[in-house]
Amino acid sequence: MEYLAVVFAPHSLLSIIIGTIAGVVIGAMPGLTATMAVGLLVPFTYTMDPVLGLMLLGGIYSGAMYGGSIPAILLNTPGTPAAVATAIEGYPMSRQGRGRLALKISVIASFVGGMFSVLILLMFAPFLAKQALHFGPAETFLLALMGLAGIVSIADEETSLLKALLAGVLGMIIAIVGTDSMSGSLRYTMGSIELIDGIDFMPALIGLFSMIQMLEIAGQRESMQIDASVLKQAQKSEPMPKGIWKYMALGSGTGTVVGILPGEGATIAAFLSYNFSKRLSKTKAMFGKGAPEGIAAAESGNNGCVGGSLVPTLTLGIPGNSVAAALMGAFIIHGMIPGPDLFAVHADKTYPFIYSLFIANIVFLITGISVAPYLARIALIPPAIMVPVISAFAILGSYSLKQSVFDVYLMIGFAFFGLFLKKLGYSLEALILGLILGPIAEHGFSQGMIIGKGSPWIFFASPIAKVMWVIIILLLLPPLIAHGKRMLRGAARVDR
Amino acid sequence: MTRELLDRIVLGGFIVLAVLLYLSTASYPGIAQKTSALYVRFLAVSFGGLSAVQLLFSLRKPSGSGEPLDLFGRASRFFGLMVGLIIFAVLFESLGFFIPAAVFIPLIAVMLGYRNPAVIALSTGGVLLAVYLIFVQLLSVNLPGPNLF
Repeated sequence: MEYLAVVFAPHSLLSIIIGTIAGVVIGAMPGLTATMAVGLLVPFTYTMDPVLGLMLLGGIYSGAMYGGSIPAILLNTPGTPAAVATAIEGYPMSRQGRGRLALKISVIASFVGGMFSVLILLMFAPFLAKQALHFGPAETFLLALMGLAGIVSIADEETSLLKALLAGVLGMIIAIVGTDSMSGSLRYTMGSIELIDGIDFMPALIGLFSMIQMLEIAGQRESMQIDASVLKQAQKSEPMPKGIWKYMALGSGTGTVVGILPGEGATIAAFLSYNFSKRLSKTKAMFGKGAPEGIAAAESGNNGCVGGSLVPTLTLGIPGNSVAAALMGAFIIHGMIPGPDLFAVHADKTYPFIYSLFIANIVFLITGISVAPYLARIALIPPAIMVPVISAFAILGSYSLKQSVFDVYLMIGFAFFGLFLKKLGYSLEALILGLILGPIAEHGFSQGMIIGKGSPWIFFASPIAKVMWVIIILLLLPPLIAHGKRMLRGAARVDR
Repeated sequence: MTRELLDRIVLGGFIVLAVLLYLSTASYPGIAQKTSALYVRFLAVSFGGLSAVQLLFSLRKPSGSGEPLDLFGRASRFFGLMVGLIIFAVLFESLGFFIPAAVFIPLIAVMLGYRNPAVIALSTGGVLLAVYLIFVQLLSVNLPGPNLF
């Protein structure tokens, strides 16, 4: 009850409301993502009360996941990548004058998915955190490996499996720069004082997820043309279609499970839910022409990811996706190291944060129902204005955390080289995961080797370790087999 | 330069980095030899191995169309923003946030092709006011001020 009182205190509610509405607005802007917004704002919460700061960021996360659907439906311009599936069905509905219904389904589905996933987070996170208490250094190392194994699932057509793994290991290599915790000696600092504490992941995160987008937009050869004609078109009011709840439940479950898996993001959750709904639907022919079921599944799927992604983040310190990684940064800068301690030592901050996500869902539900059509106009803000404004915030954000101009240079460097790697097909999500999990892995490995008196068998000894190896293999095998099959098919085609 | 060639150069660079990383662990002192050095070697071997396999796949693949990699898009705008960012960062410590931002935002907007002075002025003023009110006044973020005088 005392945690609920914290959430319902006026300043907490104000933080949640501001965060959520800001999230919806940011989500509605094409090119701006939840990761970018959370990553950009984490340093600014440093001076805030930790609970308020986390509530603000949680609101942004929830709001942005929903916000992307508004321009997707009304302008055929997904505000976030997770809203692409929504645009496939939402825009045709708007063209048919059914935009109001599409918006209603989108906000309700996002609400249902979000509430369900936060409920799962609340139920399972403390249980999982309790299990994590039994983890020794060997298990911690395996945990980091498990998170990295999730990298393989990031790989897609654009980023090959090997390149995703390479990016992850590169992130871990960047993370070894600084002071060696075992010997206290300096490694790879090249005499720079700024590198003694290592490379902080916040400038990297802002560079790789915020600044890189601005560089890409600035370099675009053709500016994106948005068809705003639907905004002037009359949209009729309709009741919710029968049986739509089934698809929302499907999306909520899928999104939450996908969110829990390390490395899987809201975009995958939305597309998986969308595909499931297509298979389940009796009106398959309507898909692509304005099927409300598709919107319901995709939107509940991407918002289902919110709570799901926070389960491994808060309990094990393994970010479920890039937004969760940014949020993890917020916990760390407030001295709250994700893991069992969050639910014991810092329970007074963690539980109010989780409860605040319920409120955030209610806030965007009200916002969406009342002002969604007007919010679509945000997508019409010219990129030429958006780019310098976000860039200025990126500089401010990188500087604020450690009051270090060196971090600003790091941010610019990460953006430049990140873009280079991205164009060559390397996964930036994997790079960030490696950067975050690297120190955890090294610490677990080094401590494990000391306990095991130099024998690597320590990493296979305990029953928990054995189970973790099985999970790692299960995570790695299916994508590796699929990758192998693809390569064989490719080779056969070349032979012919 | 084609994407294929650039990719191979990067992978070659990765292999060199992995070898250097592996060799560097020989200088790790005392206890680190049995702990951190082993970990770094593990990373070096994984990185070098994965890079070598990827390079092998790339070399075995039939040569592509030789299409050049469009790395920067409109290079003048891309590098204009990069230079703007670096100058902003350089001036940040001596001039603080507000003065460089007041120049950076309109300049970049114009460079990116926006020509409505009223909107540019309003956006710049609005951002600076928001930063001042929210970050300086409300959140007490310690921004450096101009220290030239």
